[in-house]
Amino acid sequence: MAVVNTDRPPAGDAARKVADAHPDLILGEHSLCPGCGEPVALRLLLETLQELDLVQRTIGVVGHGCYGSFVRIMDIDVLQCLHGRAPACATGLKRVRPDTAIFTLQGDGDMVNEGLAEIVHAAARGENITCVLLNNGVFGDTGGQQTATTVLGQRTKTSLDGRDPERHGHPIPIADLVAGLDGVGYVARGGVGTARGVARTKRMLRTAFESQLAGEGLGLVEILTMCPTGWFVTAPQGPDYMGEAMESVYPLGELHPRAAAAAEAAA
Amino acid sequence: MSPATTAAPRRELLEGAEAIARAALAADCRFFAGYPMSPFTPLLESMAKLMPEAGGVCINVESEIEGVNMTLGAAAAGTRAATGSCGQGIALMQEAIAEAALNETPFVVFNMARNQQDYFQCTRGGGWGDYRTLTLAPKDVAEAVEHTQLLFHLADRYRAPTVLYGDPLIAQTRVGVEIAPLDLPPLPPKDWALDGTQGGTGHSRQVWTWAMGKATEPGPGPDAHWQAIAAKFEEIGAAEQRWEASETDGAETLVVAFGSAAKFTEWVVEGLRAEGHSIGQFRPITLWPFPGEALAAASEGARRVLVFELNAGQMIDDVRQFAADRSVVRGIGGVSIHESGLSYGPLLDAPEIRRRILAALEEED
Amino acid sequence: MEHEVLIVGIGGQGIQLVGKTLAQAATDSGLYAMLAADYGGEMRGGPSQSTVVVGDGPLRALPILPEAGAAIVMHDKFTGPVPERVRPDGLVVLNSSIVDPAAVGDAHRVVALPVTEMARELGAPQAAGLIILGAFVAVTGVVDHDRLVSAMTSLLPPYRKQHAEANARALAAGAAAVAERGDLPPHRDGKAPQGAAA
Repeated sequence: MAVVNTDRPPAGDAARKVADAHPDLILGEHSLCPGCGEPVALRLLLETLQELDLVQRTIGVVGHGCYGSFVRIMDIDVLQCLHGRAPACATGLKRVRPDTAIFTLQGDGDMVNEGLAEIVHAAARGENITCVLLNNGVFGDTGGQQTATTVLGQRTKTSLDGRDPERHGHPIPIADLVAGLDGVGYVARGGVGTARGVARTKRMLRTAFESQLAGEGLGLVEILTMCPTGWFVTAPQGPDYMGEAMESVYPLGELHPRAAAAAEAAA
Repeated sequence: MSPATTAAPRRELLEGAEAIARAALAADCRFFAGYPMSPFTPLLESMAKLMPEAGGVCINVESEIEGVNMTLGAAAAGTRAATGSCGQGIALMQEAIAEAALNETPFVVFNMARNQQDYFQCTRGGGWGDYRTLTLAPKDVAEAVEHTQLLFHLADRYRAPTVLYGDPLIAQTRVGVEIAPLDLPPLPPKDWALDGTQGGTGHSRQVWTWAMGKATEPGPGPDAHWQAIAAKFEEIGAAEQRWEASETDGAETLVVAFGSAAKFTEWVVEGLRAEGHSIGQFRPITLWPFPGEALAAASEGARRVLVFELNAGQMIDDVRQFAADRSVVRGIGGVSIHESGLSYGPLLDAPEIRRRILAALEEED
Repeated sequence: MEHEVLIVGIGGQGIQLVGKTLAQAATDSGLYAMLAADYGGEMRGGPSQSTVVVGDGPLRALPILPEAGAAIVMHDKFTGPVPERVRPDGLVVLNSSIVDPAAVGDAHRVVALPVTEMARELGAPQAAGLIILGAFVAVTGVVDHDRLVSAMTSLLPPYRKQHAEANARALAAGAAAVAERGDLPPHRDGKAPQGAAA
């Protein structure tokens, strides 16, 4: 199959239309690596807020990672917070402004390394916030070190021969842990490596926000995102690598459906 | 005037922690997050009871780190918010306190310290970056009630976290107090606070230590922003020094103390003065900004400057820096801890303080 | 004028309640009061102390008193019959069921009442501390007896309200025991706060 040349913008009108599409809420270009999944996730998130008409009552809490630079290009009221602490900051915001929609945007290093206590406690307390986890299994912003979600066998700057449980321990499937807690309203895992994944992920985000608005408890949407740089693969290889390496460990799907949906399914 | 308006306000017998909680509520604090730790715990318990009654939120958090970050979030939304702890718990909060100083989020931190060993923690930071925490050290419950309200005001005025230096005596002594609202100047509205309403307008708000702004509306960026913050703290340093100087004019001996200890030294010094000694007292009320010039003036001509603090020597560094003659500065306090580890030891006692001052007076004669 | 009183005994004798009741009664009367912090420890059998200062102006007294003009001694196990910091010629009201009045010596003015027995006779063995408090207040006149009763009632938690009547009788018994005696030392021994005109 011919490889698409991404050295310059596409020539055809239709392709240009897609390439130039600029949602209102995105104020500029992102500066992340070619093939990164995070900008796709951002776009899905912002489109969801628009479609639910939440734009003027949403506050985002963004942690530290490559996605931290999104604070510059997302036209949403934002608190950029300390590494790991977003669910705690989000709790404070939501408790004093219960009529707003609050989301966190965190990477796996942020949420599952530094912020493990924060996400677990916020979920147990049932805070009505939506936490979005961008999971690429590496600390991308600092150059690609191992995180708590790095899968076994994955090479990172601090596990150069591949993660080995004897030396580096096991990954933590945070969404599965959180899904088992009373206090959550909705937990799902999506991925943006395929067109189908993108569509499913967007639906998950919508469901999560609807769950927040219904006051059902904490929503967690984990989104597997490609990081070709961190994974030592080329941009076009990202999606396939993600499918093979990560989706086998972190399968996509709803881990804790909304209560109403679960009741319907059981009926 | 009708009798109702001329009736004298009633004092209530309140534990210091409850008095502080009521003072915070009187100052419109409506969010509080804390983790149990002695002697801060009664403040948390008071808030747990009083906050919901006032329509506010009190959360017993799962860690001090979560607590201070929740408080930061609530404050970023424009609500008057507070947290607290002591010693080790405050140490856990330092990252977020610095963060709030650098992203300009106002809230109050109640350091209900176990002793006077947290002076450095409050005045030297312990977080990261160039910032300071405006810290008030009341000498008793009545002053703590005033300081609490003042701290919320100053936090909002300067958009920075502020600190109350309390202790077990202030937290746990019950005193008849009146929670009289302070008359403070009005403050501008919090246009910067996050409420979601600017989403999609192109002018959405940010609370961000790096202050980079938007692609469409660039902000100052970390360099200019942090320089501005440094300048702000210089301004606070010059404008907000507070102290109390008693009979320091021409005094041969000057005693310097802060917080509860100063209430004891004040009592002792008055007694010594009544016996004919030439002795005065200087009490810093703001630990930062330290009232250095006032101390210099108060120590002018003093033959001895005796620093009484219950630690291994922390405030004495600041005293040495500003005293008119640093060679006459010496410490007469020390580490003194109750056997439980949770409060002051036997050194915080008027007869012992008196002995130490007299010993210092007799030494050179 | 400030009055300081050290209240000492052992855990289980209601020492904290005695101090709180006195401080509350004083505050309710419009006076200034301070009740010092107690670091606690064992609930029963260990030392228990409560320190109260009452005055008619803002109090100068320190939260850890260097000296006191009076003491209420329910048990002398940890302090001896006269706590160390009571001023010479200070007032000592003691529980003679446990503390031997003869051990006090001549340096202080003593009022001795067998409050443990009195409480048993009243059918309210837990209320001995309130008997001695009623007596203390009758001797010193620091607050009105009625204020003492209303303070005691207001301090009872909901699950103890049924004790209000028995407690009131205990307070009254202490006051009555004092009223019967003609040999009391003069009361009102408070001192002017340091630095203030007497």
